[in-house]
Amino acid sequence: MNSWIEKQRYIIDFTLSSLLRRKVKNIGLLVLYTLIVFILASMMFFTHSIKREAALILKGAPEVVVQKIVAGRHDLMPIEYLDTIKKIRGVATAAPRLWGYYYDNLVKANYTLLVPPTQTTTTNISRTTVVENEPNSQSVDLTKPLYEVNGTKLESGTIIIGNGVARLRQIAKGDYMPFLSFDGNVMNLKVVDTLSAQSELVSSDLLLITEEDFRKLFGIDKQFVTDMTVVVNNPSEMPTVAAKIKKRLPQARPIIRDEILRTYESIFNWRGGMMIVIFSAAVLAFVIFAWDKASGLSAGERREIGILKAVGWETSDVIQMKFWEGAIISLTAFFSGVILAYIHVFFMGSPVFEPALKGWSALYPNFSLTPFVNIEQLTTLFFLTVLPYTVATIVPIWRAATIDPDSAMRFTGD
Amino acid sequence: MRKSSLFFYSLITELMVLSLLLLYGAIDKNTQQESLQEKAMLVETLQLTDLCLFTEARYTRHLSQADLNTAFQDHPVSLEHFPSGSFTQPSFTGMGSHEQLD
Amino acid sequence: MIELHGIRKVFNAGNPSEFTAINGANLQIAENQITVLKGPSGSGKTTLLSIVGCMSRPTAGRVHLNGREITSLPERFLTDIRRKTFGFIFQQPNLIKGISVLENVMLPAYPLGEKRSQLRIKALAGLDELNIGNKSHSNVEWLSGGEAQRASIVRALINNPSIIIADEPTAHLDSKLSYRFMEIIEKFKAEGKTVIITSHDPLVYDAAIVDRVITMRDGQIEV
Repeated sequence: MNSWIEKQRYIIDFTLSSLLRRKVKNIGLLVLYTLIVFILASMMFFTHSIKREAALILKGAPEVVVQKIVAGRHDLMPIEYLDTIKKIRGVATAAPRLWGYYYDNLVKANYTLLVPPTQTTTTNISRTTVVENEPNSQSVDLTKPLYEVNGTKLESGTIIIGNGVARLRQIAKGDYMPFLSFDGNVMNLKVVDTLSAQSELVSSDLLLITEEDFRKLFGIDKQFVTDMTVVVNNPSEMPTVAAKIKKRLPQARPIIRDEILRTYESIFNWRGGMMIVIFSAAVLAFVIFAWDKASGLSAGERREIGILKAVGWETSDVIQMKFWEGAIISLTAFFSGVILAYIHVFFMGSPVFEPALKGWSALYPNFSLTPFVNIEQLTTLFFLTVLPYTVATIVPIWRAATIDPDSAMRFTGD
Repeated sequence: MRKSSLFFYSLITELMVLSLLLLYGAIDKNTQQESLQEKAMLVETLQLTDLCLFTEARYTRHLSQADLNTAFQDHPVSLEHFPSGSFTQPSFTGMGSHEQLD
Repeated sequence: MIELHGIRKVFNAGNPSEFTAINGANLQIAENQITVLKGPSGSGKTTLLSIVGCMSRPTAGRVHLNGREITSLPERFLTDIRRKTFGFIFQQPNLIKGISVLENVMLPAYPLGEKRSQLRIKALAGLDELNIGNKSHSNVEWLSGGEAQRASIVRALINNPSIIIADEPTAHLDSKLSYRFMEIIEKFKAEGKTVIITSHDPLVYDAAIVDRVITMRDGQIEV
């Protein structure tokens, strides 16, 4: 056993020596390989974490959201719908929502304006919304008046802004923010608080505003709301209730919480455009490597194998040497790539992906991801990179078997 | 030092760094529970439906609330006007259940 | 004791380019002697030497090493016998470029898994003995022709073989270095090793220390 270990060490010694002979080529190969693993692993870490985070955060999303669709577009909903919905069997309670978008010409950003739900609605919701694994979700905060964030009351003429908005506009508590209302008037609203930086992943672009100001800003009549949220008696009946709503109100489009969660489950799916581009580029590069490796041995390598065999190496020793050659490069590249990816995604906030994720948006949330790591995915990545590369390195060695040890004797030129 | 030792030391170092990172991640995950809970709470109190990932268009800002007629929903591989659309995919599940309701 | 019985070696059998390198060679090589295979190029000396050294198999005939029939052994056993019994010195030094002299010299011992500290001592001692100890850490590219050959001799000896096989060892050496080589060969004999050399260099086959000269021509041994 000892001599077996010693033998492997000798072979590794020799393999490293011969790898170092072609420094530029092999270090270049290692760097490229590391880069591929880095990109794939970053992608994996990022998408997995964001999915897990979305699943945890959005557990408290509305059970059913009912929109009104007119000619394929969202339309304002008459408030009468509320009574119709409330009468449907299985519906515990329903509440109107008022929200919309505001385009800020100054910084070219879109904000989400939202009227916080009234206290009564939420108390009702919290009665039935049992969120698993989150014992604190029904904490005292929910009983506070809802127009209040961190002890600051949201009153007419005031707004509470998300941290992203504050950062982008460089405004803080006490500042005024002008808005252009539907009829061309300027409304100056006072910022009374900002939502925490920690919550940016859900609140970065939010502007909390009172119902009165919201209607004044957009000119929405009292009898209309944006959409409605519904709480059902039995959460397992959500689809049934949604179907009933659809039947009763043909113009309505109910969206159940499961659908919201599933949307984020499938976000950044590998079939997504950019993902498939990155992925196929990586795979292609890898295939080129593998092909380069498998395409055979150079004259120099054949000569070397001839010498090794002449001085007493068996074919199996040569195969072991090639195995280590593949293993050294792929193991080093794998671990370096994964470590770099981890630092990239969880410590540096994915700067490599940022330009693509940002897209055209002027307001980009500043969030740090919770490091959810899927060991299964890591293992898959390991087998998808280390294994094929090592195999591709060994495969051409069948040619080595055809190199006779006496080829070294017949070699006369230099 | 022997080259093979150098290789094994560097491999062990890398393994250790990785396991430290994973360990740190596991601990950090617990400390970040607070932040997760804060976000979850905000979602619940404000009745939010989506993550604020892409603010460039309404159908990317509220992915799950997008109507079925916006560009995003056109075709799974259609080229997007907005780059973020190419990262995401339409919720087929939502479309499915919607068709059933029609 | 090496015995060859009716050795034939045919290259490219069945092809138009088929040719017979050795045609029915019978030979006995005694232990602790210096035997020289002499003959013009193309006479089959090198081919015969590679068969004797278990590097290639004869097309027909048998080889006995110390009474044991080795021609039909599978590759693994043959390699094992080769690296423990034979030390090879080639016409070219055949050192592997880009790695140090020391590593080159230790190469044949790698598959045996010997303890490194011991192997190193052995290799350094061997290099010292041939006066190239000071070059042990330089790359082989920096060696002169004579130094390279001495390094390849140290490599041939690293597994302490009982039979040394040298193929045209003086072909690329000047007279001075060739004499030096013959001195080294003499030392092998004094240590009790068997030496088999192919050469068409009179400096080799006419040397006083040579015990036996076998002449080859057209793949056959001339009696």
